[in-house]
Amino acid sequence: MPPKESERNDAVRGGAASSSSSSSSSPQQQQRRSAFTIPPPLKRLFDAFPLVTYPPNELPLRAPRNRYQHALYVFATAEGAELGAPSYNPSCLKWQTYLEFCNINFCVVPSNNHASPTGALPFLLPSSSELSKPSPPVPSGKLQKWTLQNSSSVVEEPSDMRYEAYLSLIDHRIRRAWLYALYLTPNFTSIAESLYILPASSNSFVRLTIAYELRAAAEAELLKHSAVISAETLYKDAEEAFAALETVLGDGEWFFGAAKPGLFDASVFAYTHLLLDKALGNGWSESRLRNAVLGNRKLVAHRERILTTFYTGA
Amino acid sequence: MASPLEDDIFEKLKQKTDAAETEKRQQDVNAKVHAQYQKAQERLVELVDDNSTLPVTISSIRVLHATHTRREFLERIFQPLLSVNRDGPYTLSEALSDVSTATNQLNKFDIFKSPISIFIDKPDPSDPSTTPTDIAVYLSAQERSRYTIKTGTEVGHSEGNAFVNVQLRNLFGGAESLNAHGSLGTRTRSAYSVGFDAPVLSNPDFRFEVNGQASSTLKSWASHEEVLKGGTTKLKYLTEGGHRHEVGYSGIWRQVTSLAENASPTVRGDAGDSFKSSISHTWINDRRDYPLLPNRGYLMKTVAEIAGLGPLGGDVGFGKLEGETQAAVPLGSGVTFTAGLRGGLLYPLSLSSGNAPIQSRINDRFQLGGPTDVRGFRLSGLGPHDGSDAVGGDIYAAGGASLLFPIPRVGADTPLRLQAFVNGGRLLALKGKSKEGVMDSKAVASNMRRTIAALKDGLPSCAAGLGIVYAHPVARFEINFSLPLVLRAAEAGRKGLSFGVGVEFL
Repeated sequence: MPPKESERNDAVRGGAASSSSSSSSSPQQQQRRSAFTIPPPLKRLFDAFPLVTYPPNELPLRAPRNRYQHALYVFATAEGAELGAPSYNPSCLKWQTYLEFCNINFCVVPSNNHASPTGALPFLLPSSSELSKPSPPVPSGKLQKWTLQNSSSVVEEPSDMRYEAYLSLIDHRIRRAWLYALYLTPNFTSIAESLYILPASSNSFVRLTIAYELRAAAEAELLKHSAVISAETLYKDAEEAFAALETVLGDGEWFFGAAKPGLFDASVFAYTHLLLDKALGNGWSESRLRNAVLGNRKLVAHRERILTTFYTGA
Repeated sequence: MASPLEDDIFEKLKQKTDAAETEKRQQDVNAKVHAQYQKAQERLVELVDDNSTLPVTISSIRVLHATHTRREFLERIFQPLLSVNRDGPYTLSEALSDVSTATNQLNKFDIFKSPISIFIDKPDPSDPSTTPTDIAVYLSAQERSRYTIKTGTEVGHSEGNAFVNVQLRNLFGGAESLNAHGSLGTRTRSAYSVGFDAPVLSNPDFRFEVNGQASSTLKSWASHEEVLKGGTTKLKYLTEGGHRHEVGYSGIWRQVTSLAENASPTVRGDAGDSFKSSISHTWINDRRDYPLLPNRGYLMKTVAEIAGLGPLGGDVGFGKLEGETQAAVPLGSGVTFTAGLRGGLLYPLSLSSGNAPIQSRINDRFQLGGPTDVRGFRLSGLGPHDGSDAVGGDIYAAGGASLLFPIPRVGADTPLRLQAFVNGGRLLALKGKSKEGVMDSKAVASNMRRTIAALKDGLPSCAAGLGIVYAHPVARFEINFSLPLVLRAAEAGRKGLSFGVGVEFL
């Protein structure tokens, strides 16, 4: 293999760290400074350079310009993101809705899993006052904590005994049925393909590969919990879960009798909204899971309430 | 007890032969052999000279030992030499020069062991089918081994890797070769490629190549890893004047993935998949005496690439032009002056499916700076930076001048030089005020003109320094001490020592 190019740090390199040059403030270099000291005459020489420093170069056109607002990276279409429409991915929608509940002022950036520090969307890039020092991204796992620290109107989560149990219904039973319905039924062609695959690339080879990978990932995820994938069991579990949620919501406006919607409401809404959205992708071709929600009128009303209150723009 | 006579013999045997004496004898022997050889050569030349105008006809050409090589493949090379296929008669010297030209061609395929020896014979005069002027040509072409497997590890240039290389030669008996390469490393995380290469119409200077590749490279200067999968096909042509041309198509699926924790929003925005479908042309005219450490001559190179236009499709659309030139002038007593100039332009084009030109992605934009182009800067240290990420630019110009001196008391014959250099450049992103990069073709054209004009704004970012150069046959090594003179804020200059390995330098 022909060698290409290289760089190697060395003792003298430390000089840059102590110079006034703007290029020399990364933590790595500061470590180096402590390891090597350079003689003062050399340091004086280094400090004299560069002789001229001009203002920075402009960024390329595709670079995001809006750095003064928190940015939530989610699966969304470009138009949807502009309007602040609900994301078409349940875990993204959950956090998007939660941030709306907490009155956080943020913009939605359409993105994909490759952009995320954890490998999965969503994540939030907090605003930074200084362009050269971006704040570290907040992955979804730490979003609730971040919100508690940054929101003026924090939503208190109810301390109900049943909270965890019902949350696991959503995170397991409903999520698994969703995975099955979206990726392993004809819905894959009518919904998943137009939302996740077609926007990724216009090349059919790339599309085929991504489609294969997506289905394989969904299948692997389902096989983690049972030896065989049984549609009947998955759907039945989900139907029971929705019925249980309907019961626990009861006649209250929000779950567990809270005065304001919280993370639990966002988690439920993430699935109910997408399942009830007739226009999702090219429409539902296999609608058993959708019907399971339609049968629970209080859940339908709960979804309507959130949609009309918090997604007025879309 | 031994007699004095015996002692004498032992004494004589023990006596070491004088070293100088042995050397002298050896020299004598060498001189004798050499003289004999020279005489034989002279006789041969005389013989050929005497007979140079002798009319001959080549009745047959036989290539011996080439058992795996196809007959049709060899026929295309040798058929035109046969007198049956020629209008006029040969003289002996013409015939010999034609045969040696054809043999040289055979050598270029790299499938025979060199040298290929030529024998000339008179056919049996009693054979009624021959004429008295007939000669028969025999070529002894030993085929090289049909495969080579190389494995190894490389450490250096802040990268370590292990590789396997397999080459199958003369695959179908027409000098076709199949190369498979696999490597795992620290910076180029993994790279696999399989290439098939075949000469077109038995012409060693006209080759066709198909290549499939998959690789994953860590691009630490922009906090991401780029995964490539795709294929290229190329026609490579070497003109008689020594100009190399390559025309090819490539279709590559690129993935910007595995972003670092502190990746900038610009890199995050470009994360994900894109497919590049492009045709390209490369022209190289290399007239340097030693490309790695030129003393005299010049290099000119242009690369043109069009992606996404019309039927090409894909996700990115652009026209890309790059030019490079380097010249070396000897100043006497081993001192050489070299100067280089490079430039490139990335022009956004619209895809057939959309009407607005697509703005460039980080995969396609140029990067500038580093020990092998603009020295005195970090790798990709020039151009637009978002935070600590070098996000690349759409237009660049860079130039450098070096003065190379032989090291005192080491001399000009060694591949070691001292160098003093000044180099600099500008790398700019396309200007324009557009929301999320949408602008029409007219705006692109006027913004392109504005950006080109902006190359001249202020002094170019530049650096100067001193160093030592060592030109190894495989690559050139440099250690330089440099200081940046002019910078843009956020550009990453490099003060002090830096080390460079490469094959192309500014």
